[in-house]
Amino acid sequence: MNEQPPSHRELFIGMLQVALSAFGGGLSAWSQRIVVEQRGWLSNEEFLTGLTVARLFPGPNQINMAVYIGAAFRGLSGALVALAGMLLVPFSLLMLLGVAYFSFHTLPAVDRVLAGVVAAAAGMALSMGFKILDQYWKDPVALLLAAATFVAMEFFHLRLVPVVLIAGPLAMVWYWPRSSGSGSQP
Amino acid sequence: MIVPPVLVAVVESARCSPTSLTDLGHLLQVLGTFLGLSLFSLGGGNTLLSEYQHLSVDQFCWLTSSQFADLYALAEAAPGPSSMLVGLLGLGAAWPEGPWWALLSGYGAELAILLPSTLVMVLACLSWNRLKDSPWRIAFERGLGPITLGILFQVGLKILHTADTNAAGVVVSLVVCVLMLRTRISPLWFMACAGVLGGLGVINR
Repeated sequence: MNEQPPSHRELFIGMLQVALSAFGGGLSAWSQRIVVEQRGWLSNEEFLTGLTVARLFPGPNQINMAVYIGAAFRGLSGALVALAGMLLVPFSLLMLLGVAYFSFHTLPAVDRVLAGVVAAAAGMALSMGFKILDQYWKDPVALLLAAATFVAMEFFHLRLVPVVLIAGPLAMVWYWPRSSGSGSQP
Repeated sequence: MIVPPVLVAVVESARCSPTSLTDLGHLLQVLGTFLGLSLFSLGGGNTLLSEYQHLSVDQFCWLTSSQFADLYALAEAAPGPSSMLVGLLGLGAAWPEGPWWALLSGYGAELAILLPSTLVMVLACLSWNRLKDSPWRIAFERGLGPITLGILFQVGLKILHTADTNAAGVVVSLVVCVLMLRTRISPLWFMACAGVLGGLGVINR
């Protein structure tokens, strides 16, 4: 890490740079390139730790990563500044796109093109589960949990929040690390 | 790995009557909704997609089903994290009140969905050294993973169902799914090609 921690301004600009570079995809790769290689704010190891934390906790991974970087140097205010840098430009563009959409989506030509785009987007959504299926393939309990969650939501129409609140603790009990001794239950 | 063609024939729930709220009432409803969901955005946020659909289409009638599908596609196509969809939902919720109010609602919705998870993330960063080897952390990570997996499959089907395209569209969805898994082609290409197919009338809904 640098001897001089980045200021709020630098955090904002750095994240802005990540967001602008990543137009067209590869947010994670750009984030690593700029934060680790160009600016030297974090070592590669620290960056990977950040990714682990970002994936673990609720929230979009890349946004959590920005929060991690900001918080690492400047606490809460740093986190908010980094978040703003990451989101301001792409989000404002998206809002403009949204305004255009609500103004013009009733035009037949627009609607026809969107019908096609929606089909592709549905395919992307469909691939999300398969993408992480591999890592659970050898764990029958995990597959059972996944299947039960799926059935509860798809066929019994249970909502996400109760499903997570019920299944989450049960799964945590099952996966409680046994080797490290039974942890104290507060 | 073949996805069974959507067996779900869940009939579109009868159109709910649009909520009649004052401008401010709408805004508060939007903010409250997303504040409450924030901490349930597991697996990078995609687990919430079904919830978003349920709230904005079935429960609050902010959007029609196909509008939701359109906004999801826009958020996927636009640069930046796809969780920015929430901003579009907020925008749509307040659109009847005019574009400026809608923009306020859009920015508010995005802040609301990000604020709680951001605060938790900051706490996590500050205490990571203690959390790292805690059995709670390990159990949380291992336990929530499979649940996320189940949710993501449900979300995938839900979006496919919401897209509600003709047979050609479903075929395109399945092909895109396979290509997403087997290749590293940018999804923007898939959207562009499918958009052309839509424009030509091959895919419709």
